Amino acid sequence: MNRISEAIHDTCYIWWDEMKQVVKDEGVLIFFILVPLLYPLLYSWIYNNEVVRDVPVVVVDDCHSPLSRQFIRQCDASPDVKVLSYAADMDEAQSLLSRQVARGIYYIPSDFETRINRMEQATVGVYCDMSLMLAYKAIYMTARLVSLEMGADIQTKLGQHFTTRDEQIAAKPLQAEEVAMYNPTGGYGSFIIPAVLILIIQQTLVLGIGLSAGTARERNRYRNLIPISRHYNGMFRIVGGKALCYFMIYAVMTAYLVLVVPRLFGFTSIGRWDQLAVFLLPYLLDCIFFGMVVSCMVRYRENVMLLVVFISIPLLFLTGVSWPQSSIPGFWQGISWLFPSTFGVRGFIRINEMGGTLSDVLPEYQVLWVQGLIYFIIACLVYRYQIFLARQDARERLSNIQQASSQEE
Amino acid sequence: MGRLFLRECRRLWQNPIYGFCMVVFPLLVVFFFTSLMHEGLPQDMPVGVVDEDNTSTTRALVQRLDAFQNSKVVAHYPTLSDARRAIQHNEIYGFLYIPKGTTDNLLASRQPKISYYYTLTSIAAGSLVFKDMKTISILGSAAVGQATMRAKGFTEDQIQTFLQPIRIDLHQISNPQTNYNVYLSTMLIPGLMMLFMFLITAYSIGTELKFNTSKEWMQAANNNILVALTGKLLPQTLIFLLITFFYEFYVFGILRWPHPGGVGMIVLLGVLHVLAAQGFGVFAFGLMPSLRMSMSICSLWAVLSFSMAGSAFPIIGMDGPLQAASWLFPLRHYYMLYQICVFNGYPLLEAWFHFAALVGFALLPWLVLKKIKNAMLTYVYIP
Repeated sequence: MNRISEAIHDTCYIWWDEMKQVVKDEGVLIFFILVPLLYPLLYSWIYNNEVVRDVPVVVVDDCHSPLSRQFIRQCDASPDVKVLSYAADMDEAQSLLSRQVARGIYYIPSDFETRINRMEQATVGVYCDMSLMLAYKAIYMTARLVSLEMGADIQTKLGQHFTTRDEQIAAKPLQAEEVAMYNPTGGYGSFIIPAVLILIIQQTLVLGIGLSAGTARERNRYRNLIPISRHYNGMFRIVGGKALCYFMIYAVMTAYLVLVVPRLFGFTSIGRWDQLAVFLLPYLLDCIFFGMVVSCMVRYRENVMLLVVFISIPLLFLTGVSWPQSSIPGFWQGISWLFPSTFGVRGFIRINEMGGTLSDVLPEYQVLWVQGLIYFIIACLVYRYQIFLARQDARERLSNIQQASSQEE
Repeated sequence: MGRLFLRECRRLWQNPIYGFCMVVFPLLVVFFFTSLMHEGLPQDMPVGVVDEDNTSTTRALVQRLDAFQNSKVVAHYPTLSDARRAIQHNEIYGFLYIPKGTTDNLLASRQPKISYYYTLTSIAAGSLVFKDMKTISILGSAAVGQATMRAKGFTEDQIQTFLQPIRIDLHQISNPQTNYNVYLSTMLIPGLMMLFMFLITAYSIGTELKFNTSKEWMQAANNNILVALTGKLLPQTLIFLLITFFYEFYVFGILRWPHPGGVGMIVLLGVLHVLAAQGFGVFAFGLMPSLRMSMSICSLWAVLSFSMAGSAFPIIGMDGPLQAASWLFPLRHYYMLYQICVFNGYPLLEAWFHFAALVGFALLPWLVLKKIKNAMLTYVYIP
């Protein structure tokens, strides 16, 4: 009984001690408070427009006929493409491309209308600057849609039909309906921001915990992670007390990140908050224990930045958002299992954007708990070793002092 | 100068973190991205089918979808909601829905309707699956028209013309296979290298303060900050250049990614890449001569660079203030220079602004030389 109350007392002491350290340390504050508060806003602002409209193209119209002009007019009228100017020939058009003024060329050959009137297939040349995928898609898809639309008109004129209904069926015997789910506009922000939000939680936690551990080590006269104090004995107390401190801060930050930010900018967010809370609980714990394990490897406080910051970008790719999960090679899939963010992001997207429930993300949910448990055990073992090191150091120094004093006598 | 050079080499050798951040991690990053996206264009992405009709016509349609390079039919689902749940379970990226009676209606000219559903929560996967399913639905339509017209006695040319009166002749300049590896890795890998250069530059100067060696360092340079900095940064420049050239040799030489700009331009780009990044690192330290603040700035700036480079989501799609702010990121200028002069092979003149900006970043340390000297001689590190 006494032991339990002592343990609770120690845990609370460590929690309070860690809380004070966090508040006093501006470096930790930057990563615990400032970055999670401001970064999502900045990213949301960057991607706020979601789609690219009015990509500039230049037209080379060698045909100069009503049909060619209709094609150009229809492209210009589409939301994604803007006809910037007409060029006399391909050389002039290419010089506009090289100056980055235009992103693509529509080339209409001189026999465009003649061929259509002769009932031959006409072509339109589309030249795309491939350095921007979204611009390329806009230019190509617009030309394709306009050509299909004009094609349907021509078809109905060509076929010998009796009624309008006949014409419709002949032009399109099989109708097709396309339904984009969960991110209907294909917005870039709605697609990348949720992954970034969840990744920010993990990365700032690891950075903050690492900095705080580095500071603790540097403040300690003997470069030990664990101070000599009667409260700091027992690995569960240390790990528990510290985790409690980080968890309290991040419960608030996470609520802000997943509930406020998406609504502030109108990103898709149809998940239920209770499902999110249940799912993100193991994710947070997992990240905290992961951070504590990483922090034990840090000798100087700044080194953690060198280790952790760069890995954010590869981690984003390993979640399967930017690059489809089904195309990630097996080796990297295996590596991705080491990090909480892989499962956190996948589960979060499916709850928050696809309106899934906990049962839909059960595999991820279970993995997060298991992973959290493993990192918890490793964190405990590592801290146990640190306690051992600290005690050994203390004992050595003590025996040194005793020897010295006995020699004096 | 020589003494400083050797002194720095010794420091780089003694602290293993340098070896990791200057050689091991950058090489790891090069290997990571090039192998992650080695397919170029994602292939065989899982899609599902809800075929309520199940006739030879619809089965042929499904087989055709399966035959596409980007899609692979992995499952048949009995109902729509099962297929939707499969999307939510992350099993498929989209599915084709063929309602009952499609074939009958098709043969009887009653214009039946099929639907395809796809998710854009992953844009690359979603839009590729969409493209395949759209093509399939057009082809399905065309197959019927083709059969009817053949029966009526039209020639193949006439049928082709009737089905597609206007054909789009697509030219994807420099990247004809729509290779995502070429498109993404050439920004991500240099961006991450820049991140390391920013951080290591700030770290190596900052640790002089931290480990209380700054006065000794300045003395070795006779209190001339320019000599001190040059001697310190030169070994790093050489290592970074080596790594950058290795990366360029690997992607352009071995993987043979498009580089109509030529070798000279690639070398110039590599040199500017390293010098601009180091310049920025020194400048960041000069602004706030404290190890932790300068490194925080460098990491935050470098991570933002990936968005502000404007390769994934273009700068022209962003708000006005952000378009102007993009000039402040060395990676933006690097990317533009690469894209104009190496990837598209246009003359350097077209990218003079970005070239000048990179040179400007390399010269930024001039502004803070005095401040750094002052910091080195007077500041005391507080943990």
